[in-house]
Amino acid sequence: MLYLISRLTKVYGSRTVLDIESLEIMEKKIYALLGPNGSGKTTFLKILGFLDLPTSGNVQYCTRPVRFLESQLQPLRKEVVMVNQHPILFTTTVYRNLEFGLRIRKISKKKCAYIIDEALDMVGMRHFSQAPAHRLSGGETQRVALARALALSPQVILCDEPTSSVDPENQGAIINLLRQINDEKQISLIFTTHNQSQASMLAHHTLFLDHGKLGTTSYDNLFAAVASRKDENSSLCKIQNTVELVVPGDRDGEIRLMIDPEKIDILETRKKDHGENCFRGNIVQITKEGGKIRIGVDSEIYFIIRMPADDYTRRKPMVGDNMAFRIPRKSIKLLS
Amino acid sequence: MDFLFDSIISAILLAVSLDTELLSIVAVSLKVSSSSTLFAGMIGVPLGFFIAFESFKGKQLVITCLNTLLALPTVVIGLFVYALISRRGIFGPFDLLYSQKAIIIGQTMLIIPVVTIFTIAAISRIDERYRKTAMTLGANRLQAACIVMREARFGIVAAVIAAFGRVISEVGISMMLGGNAKGFTRTMTTAMALEYDKGEFTLAIALGFILLFLSFGMNLLFNFFQGRTET
Repeated sequence: MLYLISRLTKVYGSRTVLDIESLEIMEKKIYALLGPNGSGKTTFLKILGFLDLPTSGNVQYCTRPVRFLESQLQPLRKEVVMVNQHPILFTTTVYRNLEFGLRIRKISKKKCAYIIDEALDMVGMRHFSQAPAHRLSGGETQRVALARALALSPQVILCDEPTSSVDPENQGAIINLLRQINDEKQISLIFTTHNQSQASMLAHHTLFLDHGKLGTTSYDNLFAAVASRKDENSSLCKIQNTVELVVPGDRDGEIRLMIDPEKIDILETRKKDHGENCFRGNIVQITKEGGKIRIGVDSEIYFIIRMPADDYTRRKPMVGDNMAFRIPRKSIKLLS
Repeated sequence: MDFLFDSIISAILLAVSLDTELLSIVAVSLKVSSSSTLFAGMIGVPLGFFIAFESFKGKQLVITCLNTLLALPTVVIGLFVYALISRRGIFGPFDLLYSQKAIIIGQTMLIIPVVTIFTIAAISRIDERYRKTAMTLGANRLQAACIVMREARFGIVAAVIAAFGRVISEVGISMMLGGNAKGFTRTMTTAMALEYDKGEFTLAIALGFILLFLSFGMNLLFNFFQGRTET
């Protein structure tokens, strides 16, 4: 067990930004942390990286209880390295950037040189060794920051949105690199992202944070809507002023809702749409995620439907097909 | 107009001929100003760093006080130090009055706020992520502080240069605490004041040119380091 977390909270003023009841994070695995902006992802990552203190709760790291005192945290930081969304490289050469953490760990110059060359090789930046680090592009900076973390052989690398500030070419390189780090070096990885596909592609486990709380559902089909009371048991929600959806509960005003993509029912295409929450749309994307098939449907707004692989083989939906589907009330979760 | 023109020509000839009196005055000026800048740097840089880096009660008040001290007239510091080092002062037995040491003490007090405030500004401009990055790479507080200091180095050098520019051109402290003794405590500014009193403008203007030249050099250096800070 890498981390064992219980009743963890982080409060800024009167605002609770993190409230995690319990969570176990396993060693040598990749975890994706999904969630909208302001959901507490970065705060959580900072606490896991021992760079921020929780307001309350317990954290165990490698079965040892963590005492959030500066004197106790500094040795732990030598085992956990965080790479920021926009990483900072010191205004010196790439080589010296990588050397910094190694020298702190009192590693000899000769061994430093070997480790640095190996780390830069892994990220494909060895020829930049003597380049001024602060003049690199966004993608190169991200790769050097990963090499700097990698050179320290930590137990865990925490990456805050590792691909958000780089071009598509570098995004692919960074994703492959993260996978390689986990496969070859057996380093645990925890990264935040907004991209569900990226999370599914890369991570062994996906965690979803919303308003600081861990959710069991995925990040797909998260919508802001305006609700108006329909009857005692249901409300009518308007999403993006176009799609109307009947949701359980007596609600009024602005709400956020999430539709579980695995609980959406696919209807026979030829059948006439009828009943509550029935929609029709064109399939625009089909991807494989683990044992499931993820289908993107454009139906005025973009819905994600996830179906088992055998169901997909039976139905054989294709990109461009028109698909009818129903969103049952039980698949809708009101968030606020 | 002829008078000014003649004075300028004579001053240039004096400066070019490396007049011994002129050189002695410039040497004293550079010696006391460099010493006071060195001491002020040794005190002001760590002090500014501490104030910028640490959170403590009354931090804003301290910064406000330091900002106020920036505008302190040199004669006020001259009077204050005079009270301390004159025969009746608590440091009277050290016999410091009318010595280069007295000027250095006064000038150091004058520019400590300058170095401190500029250092605070230089450190505050450094992105907080530098410290956090150093910490996540395993640095302790001191090592993280050194990284921030390193990133702010050009700003700090600019602070020291600005302080030197302040002391090389001040007259109040040098006059009150140094006494303008020829060859001993006579600096460029006190010599210029004396020559003016005597109605002898040649040496005064020559010294003025040298002072301007030094100020220009200081400003070039200052702009160079400020430019490095911005890049």
